[in-house]
Amino acid sequence: MEKNYSLPADHDLFPEGAQRCSLLKFMIWMGLVGVVAAWGLYAAYKVLSTGLGVTGLDDYFGFGLWITFDLAVIALGAGAFFTGLLRYILNIDPLKNIINLTVIVGFICYSGAMLILVLDVGQPIRAWFGYWHANVHSMLTEVIFCITCYLIVLIIEYVPLILEQKQLNRNPLLHHIAHNLHVMMPLFAGIGAFLSTFHQGSLGGMYGVLFARPYVFREGFFVWPWTFFLFVISAVGSGPVFTVLIATIMEKMTGKKLVSWEIKSLMGKIAGSMLFVYLIFKFMDTYGWINTILPNAGLTFEQNFYGNIYGQWLLWTELGLCGVLPCIILLVPSLRNNPALFYSAALLDCIGVTINRYVFTVQALAMPVMPFDSWETYAPNWAEWGSSALVVAYGAIVLSLSYRYLPVFPQEKKLNATKA
Amino acid sequence: MAVDRRGFLKFVAGVSAGVMVTPIPWKLLDDASIWTQNWPWIPSNVDGASTYVSTVSKLCPSCVGMKVRLVGDRPVRILPDENHPLSKGGISPLAVAEAQMLHSPARVMRPLKKAADGAYVAISWEEADAMLAEKLGAAKGGIACVSGDETGTINEVLSAIAVQAGSGNFYLMPTEAQPAAKAVAAMGGKGQLGYDIENSDYVLAIGANVLETWGTVIRNRAAYKAARPHGEEPAVQYVFAGPVQNSTAAGADQWVPIKAGTEGVFALGIAHLLIKAGARADAADFDAFRSLVEAYNPAKVAEITGTNPEQLKSVAGALMKARTPLVITGSDFGQGTGAATVMAGVAVNMLLGGMNRKGGLKLLPVAEPVVSSAMTRAEMMGKDFVSYMSRINAGKEKAPAAMVFYEANPAYALPQATKMSEVLAKVPFKATFTTFLDETAMLCDLVLPVPMGLERLDDVATPYGSGQALYCLARPVAPMPANVKPAGDYIIALAGKLGCSLGVSSWEEVLQAKAQAMGADWDSLMDGNVFMSDATVSASLSFGADALAKSVAPKAKEGDFAVAPVFKLGIGTAKTAIPPYNNKLIRRWELQGNELYVAMNGATARKLGVLMHDKIVVSNKSGNLTARVNIFEGIMNDTIAVLMGLGHTAFDQFSKGKGENVMQLLTVGFEAGTGLSVWNMAGVTISKA
Amino acid sequence: MQVKEFKVKWGMAIDIDKCTGCGACMVACQAENNLSPIEDASNKIKVMNWLVVYELSNKKPFPEHDVAYLPRPCQQCGTPPCVSVCPVIATDKNEEGGIVSQIYPRCIGCRYCMAACPYHARYFNWLDPVWPEGMEKALTPDVSVRPRGVVEKCTFCHHRFMQAKDKAIVEGRDPEALADGDYVTSCTEACPNGAIVFGDLNNPDHQVYHLARSKYASRLLERLHADTQVYYISRREWVRRQLDNYLDNEKVKG
Repeated sequence: MEKNYSLPADHDLFPEGAQRCSLLKFMIWMGLVGVVAAWGLYAAYKVLSTGLGVTGLDDYFGFGLWITFDLAVIALGAGAFFTGLLRYILNIDPLKNIINLTVIVGFICYSGAMLILVLDVGQPIRAWFGYWHANVHSMLTEVIFCITCYLIVLIIEYVPLILEQKQLNRNPLLHHIAHNLHVMMPLFAGIGAFLSTFHQGSLGGMYGVLFARPYVFREGFFVWPWTFFLFVISAVGSGPVFTVLIATIMEKMTGKKLVSWEIKSLMGKIAGSMLFVYLIFKFMDTYGWINTILPNAGLTFEQNFYGNIYGQWLLWTELGLCGVLPCIILLVPSLRNNPALFYSAALLDCIGVTINRYVFTVQALAMPVMPFDSWETYAPNWAEWGSSALVVAYGAIVLSLSYRYLPVFPQEKKLNATKA
Repeated sequence: MAVDRRGFLKFVAGVSAGVMVTPIPWKLLDDASIWTQNWPWIPSNVDGASTYVSTVSKLCPSCVGMKVRLVGDRPVRILPDENHPLSKGGISPLAVAEAQMLHSPARVMRPLKKAADGAYVAISWEEADAMLAEKLGAAKGGIACVSGDETGTINEVLSAIAVQAGSGNFYLMPTEAQPAAKAVAAMGGKGQLGYDIENSDYVLAIGANVLETWGTVIRNRAAYKAARPHGEEPAVQYVFAGPVQNSTAAGADQWVPIKAGTEGVFALGIAHLLIKAGARADAADFDAFRSLVEAYNPAKVAEITGTNPEQLKSVAGALMKARTPLVITGSDFGQGTGAATVMAGVAVNMLLGGMNRKGGLKLLPVAEPVVSSAMTRAEMMGKDFVSYMSRINAGKEKAPAAMVFYEANPAYALPQATKMSEVLAKVPFKATFTTFLDETAMLCDLVLPVPMGLERLDDVATPYGSGQALYCLARPVAPMPANVKPAGDYIIALAGKLGCSLGVSSWEEVLQAKAQAMGADWDSLMDGNVFMSDATVSASLSFGADALAKSVAPKAKEGDFAVAPVFKLGIGTAKTAIPPYNNKLIRRWELQGNELYVAMNGATARKLGVLMHDKIVVSNKSGNLTARVNIFEGIMNDTIAVLMGLGHTAFDQFSKGKGENVMQLLTVGFEAGTGLSVWNMAGVTISKA
Repeated sequence: MQVKEFKVKWGMAIDIDKCTGCGACMVACQAENNLSPIEDASNKIKVMNWLVVYELSNKKPFPEHDVAYLPRPCQQCGTPPCVSVCPVIATDKNEEGGIVSQIYPRCIGCRYCMAACPYHARYFNWLDPVWPEGMEKALTPDVSVRPRGVVEKCTFCHHRFMQAKDKAIVEGRDPEALADGDYVTSCTEACPNGAIVFGDLNNPDHQVYHLARSKYASRLLERLHADTQVYYISRREWVRRQLDNYLDNEKVKG
C-alpha cells in the first residue's frame, strides 16, 4: 500500500475512522508533558535517594500533599467503578459511551496513587509487609489489600481496550482475549465495585477510627465509623463528573466532540443524586460531630479552626459552595443542561471533595489535642509538588496515548461525522 | 542445536517459573526487613562488657559526680552517682553529654600554630615546646596566666608560674566565687562561704539560680528533691527573687520579680524588716549597719528593685518564722555581681542567726597551697581579671608580653566581649591549653590540646556553693587521643624550663600533696570516694557597713531597658559551647535557624510597639545585637532576657553561627566600695530593625 | 478493641511542680537510645526527641505569670491509638509490662501511627542518622541504630527492662516481680529533681502505685480513653486543667 503523506505518519495506528492531529504536534505536546514529568522524576529521585527529609512533611504532618492528592484522585477516580457498576450490573446501557474513559481515568488515578505511595512510604521495599504481616484491625491494611487488588481489576478492564487497538486487534489471539474479557466484564465490574466500596470506605475509615483526634473521630456502625460511608458516597458523588470534565478538556484540546451531551448530563445526574444523598448524611454527621464528639473531648466547635489557613470558611465552602450549590445545579434539569452551569457545578463538586480530603488529612493533623500544644501549619515543598506533577504528567501521557491510538469513545465517529 | 528466539524465551520463562518454586526469591524478599535496616552507611553499635567507674565532672561547673559506663574501653554513658555528694542521684544536662563530647568535632587533637596567613596548622609537640620555651622565656616577668578551672589545683601551678615569671598576674575567669570572696574579706572573715542547703527549711535565693546554674547545682537539686515529696506539700520552701522566671523560679514556691542587678538592695530591704522586728547580730559595726539599712524601707526598696512591698514583707515574715532559713545571693546569670550583693545576703543570714548553724551559712576552711609560691585561694579570688583587662584597654596598665590560657575562653565569655577580644589581640604572644577550638584559641599563636576530664587525673576542691569542705578526684576512664598530653605534667615541666621552682616534679605529686593538705586519704580518693569535712572556721564577721554603704548604690544605666542574660547549663559554658545533643534543648522561641530570639513581657512589647516575631536591634555603647521578639510574661518590666551561650564564632557546626553573644552588651563598671568590676546592670536601647 | 490487662504495668508519676525544665532527661534519653545529633535543631516539629519537655503557662500577664515544665515520654497507652492502626503490626502491646513496642525492621514508614497519636510521641527518621566522625564510638550496644524511613518512639528504655530481668534471673529472683528501683528508665535516673518516678503501677510495693492514686494525679487527655500509663501530678489547678481539654463550665479533677 502506498503511503498517504497527507495523513499523520502514524495514522495506521489510529482507531478506525478517527482523525488525529499531526505526529509532530503530538510529539510537541508529549515533549511539554515530558518536561514536567522529568522535573517530577528528579523530585522522586531526590526523595528516594536522600530520604523524605527533602519534603515539607514533618512529625506533625506525617500526611500532607501526597496523601491529600492520593485521596482526592482515588475519590475522583471512582467514576470507574461506579460507572462500571451502573453499566454492567444495573445495565444502564448509554453509559457504554463513556465507560472506557472512566476505566482509563481510574487506572491513571490508582496507578498514580501507587506511584505516590512508593515515595510516601519510608521503606518502599517493605511495602508488601501489608500483605505478609497484615494487621486485621487496621483500616490501612484493608486499604492496601483493596487498592492493590482493585488496581489489578482496573488493569483487567483496561487491557481489552488496549487490545482493541486497530493493529493489535488484527491478531486473532489478542482479539479473542479482548472479546472474552468483555464477556466477563460484569464479573470484574462487580468485583471492582465491591473492592472499591471497601477501600473508598476504608480510606474514610482510616480517619474515623482515630479516637484520639477529635477532629476526625466518629462513632459508626459496627467496626465502620461514619466517615467510611461518607467517603464512599462522596466519591461516587463526584467521580462521574470528574470523568466528564476530563472528557471535556480532551474535547477542547483535540477540537472534537467525544461524548454526547446526553451522556454527560446523565453522568451529571448520577453524580448529583449521589451528592444529594451524601450531603444529607454529611450534614447529619457534622451535626453529630459538633454536638457529641467534640463536647465529649472537651472541645468547642471554634477550637477546631485556626486563622485563615485552617479557617471555618473551608467547611462552609465544602458544604455550601462546593456541596449544596453543585447538587442543586446537577439535579435540576434546566440548570444541569446549561453547559456553563453544568461544568461549574462539576468543577465545584470535585473541589468540594478535594477540600474534604484536605481538611481530613492536613487540618486534622494541624490541630493540637494537648492543651499546651499549638496549631502548626504545613506547606508542601518543591519535592512534593514535583512528584505530584509527575503523576499528573503520567496521566496526561497515558490519556494522550490512549486517545490517539485506542477506540476510547464509541460516539466519536458519529459526533464528528459532519466534519470533513 | 541452535537456540532460536522462541527457545530462548521458553527457557527464560521456565527458569523464572522454576525459581519461584524455590525458597530463593521468598527468602531474599523476607530478608528485605533486615537489609533495608542495615545499609552500610548506617553506623552499627558494637557490643562489649559494661563496666562502671565513678568520677567527677571537670566539664560542668556544677562539679557533678558521675558514673561513667564503659562498653569495652569506650565511654558510652554518663550516669548519676547516688553515692557522690555532688550528684546524689542526679546528673546535669551538660555533664550527661560528656561521653559524646569526647568525639566532638571541635576537639583539638594535636598542637596547632597560627601560620602567617592566619590559618592554623598542625605542628609537633617538639615544635610547640620550642615555641613556648622561646616566647615565654623571652616574656619572663611579663607572663599572665588565665584559668577557667575554678576548682582545680592546676591553679596553684599556674599562679606559681605567674608569680615567679610574670609579676603575679594570675587570674581566674569571673564567676560567683570572686564577689563572695571579696565580701568575706570586706567583712573581716577568712575561709569560703558554704551553704548548708540540705538542712535548711526555707531557702531564699536572691539572684542565685540555685536550681539551674549556681554553685553545686546538682547537689542543690538533690536537696530540693528530698524536700519535695511527690504531690504533697513541700517540706522546705524555696523562694526565688530575680528578673526572670527562670528554672529556679519554676521550681520554687514563689517567684519575686526584681530588676536585674538589684539583688543587694532587695536583701537590704529584708534586713531592714528583720531589724525592725527585733533581729540583732553580734558584730562590731551593727549600729553602722542598722543606720545604713534604715533607709531601705519597703517603699524605697520597691522603687529601686521594682518589687511589690507586700511580697517583700511576706518573705521577711516567712524568714523569721522559719527555723533554719538560708539566704543565698548572687548574680542572676552567674557572674558580674558586686561584693555588696553577697555582703547584703550574708548580713541577712547573720540577722537570722544562721552563721555556722545547721541549715545556714558556713565559713569553710581553705587549705594552704602545696605548690611553692602559689597564690593562696584568697589571693586568687582577689585578682580581678575584668578589671585588669579594662586597665590595659584604658592604657593604665601595660599589656603582658605573653598570656597563657588554661581551659578559659575570655574572648567569648568576658563582658564587653568584642572589646575584650581587641585587648587580647594586643598581647604579642598567646598560647592556650584547651580541649576545644574556641574563640580564644582562634586568637592565639599556639593552641595546645588538653585531655578532657574523662581522660585525665584531676581534682575538685570545695567548689563554691558546697556546704562542706570537700575534695575528690576526677579519674581517667578513657585513653587520651594520641597527640594529646596530660596538661598537669606538661605545665609543671614547662615551669621547670622557665626556671620556676615549684617544689613538685609531677602532677600526681601535686594532687597527693593537696589531698594531704585537705585531710583526705589518697588511696580512698583513688577508689572513687569523696572526702568531706564538717570543719568550719570562725564566722564572727562584721557587716562591712562602710564598704557596703558605698557599694550598694545602683548605677545609672545607659538606655531605658535592662538586659537579663539567662544561663542554662544544658546550653553549655564558654568552655564547652553547645554539646551536639544539647542544641535540641534550645527552646523554639530562643533560636530559629541562626536567628536569635530575645524575650520580653507583653507590657514591654506594647511600650516598644512590637509584636511577637518582630525584628529589633538591642544596643548600647558596648555592642549591639539583632534579634526577634518572643513574648514571655515571666520577665520583669522593661527587661529583655537573652539566652547565654549563643553567638559562637568557633567550635563546631553545633554551635557556630547560631544567634548572638549577649556578653557583648554587658558594659563593665566598678563597685565603688570595693573596686570590684561589675556588669550585671547593663542598660540598652531597643529599636525596631 | 479489647483492652489487654497485664500483671505488671510499667508507668510513671511525674511531678510537674518539681520539673525545672533543665533538659537533663532529654539529653540522657538521646545518649541512652542512640538518637543522632542534628546540626540545626530549631524546627521543633521535625527534630527527634523521644522525650520532650514542654513549657506550660498560666497565660496571665506579668507579674501573675506562672510557668511549668512537663516532660512527655511515650504514654504507653492501655488502648494505644497507634497499635490498632499500624498495617504491619510494627507496633504492639503484647508483652508483660505493658510497654508498647516499636519494631524497626518491620516498620514500613507509612506514618499512620504518627497521625493517630495525640501526644506526638512518635518520630520519623526523615533522613539517615549522621554522627560526627568518631562519635559512633559512644553508641551503646543496647539499642539498634535506625535507618531512615522508620518510625521510632520512647520505649521506657525497654533494654533496661530486659537487663533487669536477666539480672534477677542470675541472682535467683523472680524476673516477673522486680522490686521498686530494679528497673528505671534513663530519664527517671537522670533527673536531679527527682521529678520522674518510675515503677509498676500494679504493685503496691512500688512508689508509683501510690503516687498514681494521689488526688493531684491525672493523665494527659484522659477523656479520650487512651488509658495512658504516665500520671502527672501538680498541686496547681491551672496546670491540671491543661492536662486535658475542658469546656468552660467543666471542673478540674483534684
